[in-house]
Amino acid sequence: MAEVELAAITKNFGRTCALDGVSMTVPDGAFVVLLGPTGAGKTTTLRIVAGLERPESGEVRIGGMPVTSLTPAQRNVAMVFQQYSLYPHMTVRENLAFPLKSPQLRTPPEQIERKLREVAEMLQISHKLDNRATALSGGEMQRVSIGRALVRNPAVYLMDEPLSSLDAKLRADLRVELKGIQAEMGATFLYVTHDQTEAMTMATHVGVLDRGRLVQIGSPREIYENPISIYAASRLGQPRINVLPADLFAGAPAGAKTIGLRPEQIRQGEGEDSIVTRVEHLGDQTRLHLSFRHHALVTVTDPHTALRSGDVVRIRPERPFYFDASGARVH
Amino acid sequence: MANSMIERAAAATPSVTARRIRGLSDRAIAWIFVAPTIFLLLAVNIFPLIWTIRLSFTNFRANRPNAEVEWVGLRNYQRILTDADIWATMQATAHFLLWTIFFQVLIGFALAWLINRKFRGNDLWTTIIVLPMMLSPAVVGNFWTFLYQPQIGLFNYTVAFLTGADPTSFSMIGDVALAPWSIVIVDTWMWTPFVMLICLAGLRSIPDSIYEAAECDRASNWRQFWTITIPMTLPFLMLAVLFRGIENFKMFDLVVQLTGGGPGSTTELTSINLKREAFEKWRTGYASAYAIILFVTVFGLASIYVKALNKVKER
Repeated sequence: MAEVELAAITKNFGRTCALDGVSMTVPDGAFVVLLGPTGAGKTTTLRIVAGLERPESGEVRIGGMPVTSLTPAQRNVAMVFQQYSLYPHMTVRENLAFPLKSPQLRTPPEQIERKLREVAEMLQISHKLDNRATALSGGEMQRVSIGRALVRNPAVYLMDEPLSSLDAKLRADLRVELKGIQAEMGATFLYVTHDQTEAMTMATHVGVLDRGRLVQIGSPREIYENPISIYAASRLGQPRINVLPADLFAGAPAGAKTIGLRPEQIRQGEGEDSIVTRVEHLGDQTRLHLSFRHHALVTVTDPHTALRSGDVVRIRPERPFYFDASGARVH
Repeated sequence: MANSMIERAAAATPSVTARRIRGLSDRAIAWIFVAPTIFLLLAVNIFPLIWTIRLSFTNFRANRPNAEVEWVGLRNYQRILTDADIWATMQATAHFLLWTIFFQVLIGFALAWLINRKFRGNDLWTTIIVLPMMLSPAVVGNFWTFLYQPQIGLFNYTVAFLTGADPTSFSMIGDVALAPWSIVIVDTWMWTPFVMLICLAGLRSIPDSIYEAAECDRASNWRQFWTITIPMTLPFLMLAVLFRGIENFKMFDLVVQLTGGGPGSTTELTSINLKREAFEKWRTGYASAYAIILFVTVFGLASIYVKALNKVKER
């Protein structure tokens, strides 16, 4: 396991700029999740660390060693691809054993067998070991592709949305499982996802990417509680942060253009009137859609609430975020 | 609501009588469409085949249609299978097949592999390489006789230039030992592009991401080639072998133009031999038996091969 450093990485595809001076450090044993919408440069970052793409400028260091000019094989990285990339003509067993059968490694066969059984067990694919890789469901393929990375002991695990095509239950199981593996092995993970639950539950650090720039990096709590911009604030939190004109409420600081309110930043029962437009019972929580001076906002309330659409709720912002005209945080 | 939906669906479905054309049932219409093809198949394929089988048991001669035809039983077959000349022909054909397939697959795959690397102008190169395939075999045979000319031939000149031997000291077409190779070379020159195209399709069917995964799994280029490229293009390679095998089993025009089966009968492939029996010696019954034997051979080999191919494809 090793630390991974990116220093001022720039990457263009033709005339589109995929990464624009990205610098970050993935500490040894950290679980770094990259968040951002499609096209933000998450996958490109991963591929540059893997060595599948060459940056135009900047340097990649793994364990302190510059690896920018090395091949993926020389970098000793394991990657899980979003499109699985299994070897279609091989069985699940052969797929899992492939990285271990590297001639340089000379892993003894019984050790390979033991390792792949262990991984198959964990990913619940033991009964599929002799299936063709093409005769699997999407979720099974994805698990095999995760397994193919986990059989190894690389400098860093790179995962590109590895849980995206699994059903909710398996995703929740594997989330815990992957996090457990990472913590137990002290492995370094660089992980790309759209799913903020994954980011919140697994990450030691979250990096927020916006159109090729790393706008904020920190622990999930830090990003959640202290976002530097509207963009970073809207990456995390469910329901999403409400962004309203700052002058809607009293007490906005100078230069503030908008106010950001997470559900817990909306104190209910005090302040000014708002009208309930919709009540969503989700079981463990209830979402309240409110209309406040013709602005819609969403918050969370008691699961057993008696509120109904049309009722009036008084609300007051509590330690909200303020953003300026460019979306940057002012207070 | 559900009721009205069913009613609407029922109304939209044309009634059975409306679908019929002038009182014909669907089945009858289907037969009318298929009949011309079936008739043509019967007339030009099935009937001649059955007729040939019948003739193969007789001593019928097509140049004497009015002579009395004698039923000879299996004698034609017996004579063919014990004829040393025919076995020599079969052997020549087998050699021709094996060597042309070997060279075409080897060179075709190598070319495809080179063309598949992304470089500027590879489309242009593909077009240039594919050119020989587009020529008529008669034309190819004809101009290779010039290339093989000991005095003026470019082929002899090139070989002489490379080896230092005298260009007039050997004749590709005239020499008993070289003549079989002369046809292998021309066929390879002409049909390697075809194998290349099939191999190229195979190589292009492998997504880049598979190689990327292998790269991350620390597989060397050598290992990637043997564990990914070859197994994943194998069905395509086998298909190329099948096509070339069937084509070359009935090779005729090119060889007739080039060597005419000679010198002696060293390049007399079965199809040329058969044509001689049927249309020069006019031993129609005998030639029919010969044709049936060839048919059974090719059919047998091809079906075994196709079974193997399907097995590979299933993986």
